[in-house]
Amino acid sequence: MELLDRYLQAVKKHLPWERQDDILAELRANLEAQLEDKESELGRPLTQNEAEDWLRQIGAPIQVAARYQPQQYLIGPSLYPVFWFVLRTAVLWVMIVYSIAVAVQIAVHTPNWSAVFEGVLRVPEVLLTTAAVVTLIFAVIEFLAARYPGRWPLPLLPSTDWTPSALPPMEVKTGYGKKPRSYAHAVAEVIFGFLALLWLLLVPEHPYLLLGPGAYYLPASPFQLAPVLITFYWWVVALNVMQVGWRAVDLIRGSWRGSRRAQSIATSVLGLIPLVELLTARDHVFVLLKHPALDQAQYGATLISTNQGIAWGVTVVMVISVLSLLWEVGQMGVEAYRKHAAGMK
Amino acid sequence: MTIAENIFENLRLELRRGCLTLAVLAQLRQEHYGYTLRKALAERGLEIDESTLYPLLRRLETQGLLTSEWREEEKRNKRFYRLSGDGEGIFAQLLAEWRAINASIDNIL
Repeated sequence: MELLDRYLQAVKKHLPWERQDDILAELRANLEAQLEDKESELGRPLTQNEAEDWLRQIGAPIQVAARYQPQQYLIGPSLYPVFWFVLRTAVLWVMIVYSIAVAVQIAVHTPNWSAVFEGVLRVPEVLLTTAAVVTLIFAVIEFLAARYPGRWPLPLLPSTDWTPSALPPMEVKTGYGKKPRSYAHAVAEVIFGFLALLWLLLVPEHPYLLLGPGAYYLPASPFQLAPVLITFYWWVVALNVMQVGWRAVDLIRGSWRGSRRAQSIATSVLGLIPLVELLTARDHVFVLLKHPALDQAQYGATLISTNQGIAWGVTVVMVISVLSLLWEVGQMGVEAYRKHAAGMK
Repeated sequence: MTIAENIFENLRLELRRGCLTLAVLAQLRQEHYGYTLRKALAERGLEIDESTLYPLLRRLETQGLLTSEWREEEKRNKRFYRLSGDGEGIFAQLLAEWRAINASIDNIL
């Protein structure tokens, strides 16, 4: 039967090469015996359509051949939990090392925005390379373990001789929404928030609250603050007012136990505005000379290095603030997903 | 196929997989080649696709539970399988396990 020959030829192409003749001979014998049975039942040869239906019922050649292949995973279920743990750990540590290395390199060699931008742009490449290397290592381990089961047992699997008493102690829950704040804690937050706000408002009139005895040398200093720093100061005051107000309202409404994730994220976002204002200040001038005509020659270089130092300080704070905000948003996303998943169950 | 049907089908296949092995081992206490084994199982109410049964025979032989030999019958070379010595021991253990599970399920129900 030509159709059966064509079918077996198609199966053969997908069989393991070292056993394909043997498998094919057996499959042919079985199918020919089945065909003979069918034809003797009908008392005639199968028509083209009947033969096609029969072979279609047996299955597509590639699927039939696949059943003869050994089951092979890229990373199997036994190894997968270890792989996932190692992958997350590796990605985290590579990101930490990479961030420190890039920050040091930029600070020492090329302190400018394009270097920062370039460093950020390379993050996906670094992460993908790390993931690819870890995956490749685990795929090789899996392959060797499947190929040589006796001689190459799966390493890295959790040991079977563990003891429950060796497990780490209970972790203290301190995250948002995990351990409710006490009333005393909430009251203290409001009181100290008001005190901090009061202190902040008094600093312009009484600089010794910030500078201590150094404040008495301010009138003699040749420097003064640029208007952008005054605006920045009022932004900081406004953010503090908002935070203290929020906490006071929470206390009055009795909702101090609830999660403050949304408040914290809103504050973080608003906190970026004054930082952006500082970073976009014209020529990064934060400190001015009181009498430029008189003091430029003597203090000009100090003024430039002071302004550059402040600009870099603000840049670092900005980067940390953005990363912190992303972390908080990520955590909120994870919590929302967990709640959603728990709700689905 | 709906999600529920898909879940059922996956669970059904999981449930069937072990039982098929047990049935094949049981049937191969007598010698068979692939097609007659399939017919014998079908006559006792257990239909198995060709693409499932024939590779399963190969796997069980590789594991040492079956022995096989090529032999001519009705002018055609066929590969005959039967339970090996090791296979008989494993089959007895699997059968006991299967009976215990069945009894437990009956008790639960």
